Amino acid sequence: MNIIEIKNLTKNYGKSRGITDVSFNVEEGEIFGFIGPNGAGKSTTIRTLLSLIYPTSGSAQIFGKDCVKYSTEVKKEIGYLPSEVFYYDNMKVIDLLKYSASFYKKDCTKRIYELASTMDLDLNKKIDDLSFGNKKKVGIVQGLLHEPKLIILDEPTSGLDPLMQQKFFELLKEENKKGVTILFSSHILSEVQKMCDRVAIIKEGRIVTVEKISTLKENNFKRFKLETTSTVNKEFFDTDGINKYEVEGNIISFLFKGKINTIMKKLSQIEITNIWIEEPDLEEIFMHYYEKEDKI
Amino acid sequence: MNVYLHELRSYKKSTITWTISLCAITVIFLLIYPSFSGNSEEIKKIFEAYPESVRKAFGISIDGITSLLGFYSYVFLYVVLCGAIQAMNYGTSVISKETRDKTADFLLTKPVSRIQIITSKILAILTSILITNIIYLIVAFIMANLMKKEAFNVKIFFMISFTLLFMQILFIAIGILTSVILPKIKSVISVSLGTVFGLFIANMCASVIGEEAIRYITPFKYFDFPYIIKNGSYEVRFIILQIVLIVIALIASYVIYVKKIQFNFY
Repeated sequence: MNIIEIKNLTKNYGKSRGITDVSFNVEEGEIFGFIGPNGAGKSTTIRTLLSLIYPTSGSAQIFGKDCVKYSTEVKKEIGYLPSEVFYYDNMKVIDLLKYSASFYKKDCTKRIYELASTMDLDLNKKIDDLSFGNKKKVGIVQGLLHEPKLIILDEPTSGLDPLMQQKFFELLKEENKKGVTILFSSHILSEVQKMCDRVAIIKEGRIVTVEKISTLKENNFKRFKLETTSTVNKEFFDTDGINKYEVEGNIISFLFKGKINTIMKKLSQIEITNIWIEEPDLEEIFMHYYEKEDKI
Repeated sequence: MNVYLHELRSYKKSTITWTISLCAITVIFLLIYPSFSGNSEEIKKIFEAYPESVRKAFGISIDGITSLLGFYSYVFLYVVLCGAIQAMNYGTSVISKETRDKTADFLLTKPVSRIQIITSKILAILTSILITNIIYLIVAFIMANLMKKEAFNVKIFFMISFTLLFMQILFIAIGILTSVILPKIKSVISVSLGTVFGLFIANMCASVIGEEAIRYITPFKYFDFPYIIKNGSYEVRFIILQIVLIVIALIASYVIYVKKIQFNFY
């Protein structure tokens, strides 16, 4: 079953571009990554899902219901963590969380204390006095306290130290095991790679691809790095499937996609002193996607 | 209900401050009333020395100024002026406070509809204004009784004082409409002071010119205190006009807030 279904969603701000014709689905129980550089349209998509802004055309459904028409109903089961957290400054953390909990018709007190102790958050401080990272923690607790079925995270880790990021990811994985669906927007690929099952890549307001993380990584890309005894003619490697060709002294590196045999035969023709063949990380594939798009 | 209570709490401090200020104006002015009424002939002479246009602009009528109600209605104009600023501030901050502090996201991602949000917020400021008015009426009435030289018409005293509430509701409505049309107002106070003083000065000009038609566009002229004192009633056409203005402003605000406002900061 699809928890989120986005169909041809378009949003323009006056004449400037927001998102164009965005479509993808998020299935129940998956952690879905949403990646793209700054200004690609991640937040716009998310804010449309939450009906903070209204789409110019197209539609989105959450839990099978239109997200604008049934916005109030749908939001009961959504937990949202914005990329920048702003709360009523003169409130105490605990008062804010209780205010937040008061919107859901269940008792969240126990959950608030649990989450606060996991995230190491001081509940008696004023929001005003909190650092950026601590405000983010308030945001996390605030987004999770009502045990939502869908968690929407908009660049959630900015401001958190690595230890907290770790704890936060564990928290999310725990929720996910309980069957919670997570939409995870980020421009940091390593965290998406760590967390997500599938990923949508967005660029300049359009979806470039929707893939499984595993397929993205498979995709037959290999990172080659070799050390040669003498400099190799550049034309030698000028064949299909070789990308990001770089030479640094006697060290050559490139990404290869295609039949491994072809490249191995080629390599056997030159004198090699050392060789590394690795799985490229998502970052490299991702950059590759972008570069490819640029050429078109 | 939770939004209403939260909002009400957030206005607590400012409601207390405004209430004290409004009461202080009346208390301080009424304290000088005995010396006013004691030397009524001389006071009248002093005011007669002013050019007529100045007297009109400041709403001074020589015949009435030395009676308690006449004096009170003169002072009360400034209470209404301050009250209008309070109301306009509240009205304007309904939407723009959340937008400015970027807390709108918090509320709007909760399972409440925009109609519920704006209604709760409006009810909270109306409650604050109502509290201000109740306390003001009590304080002003006690003060008037302490300072009076002779009995005054209590009904007319309250009729004058009630106009504070009417005016404040009108300015709340104007403020709300302003804030949904311009949700990104950075400084609420400059917008509300500008509007209120603008209309107040228009009121002064209208008084000097004395043209009846101008009264329709200057809210401070909707209640003519000498008329109330003389006739013991309000002018119905202005009350109707005021109600119509309030209803139009509120309906427009709801429609714009629910359908049009986009909350996007990034």
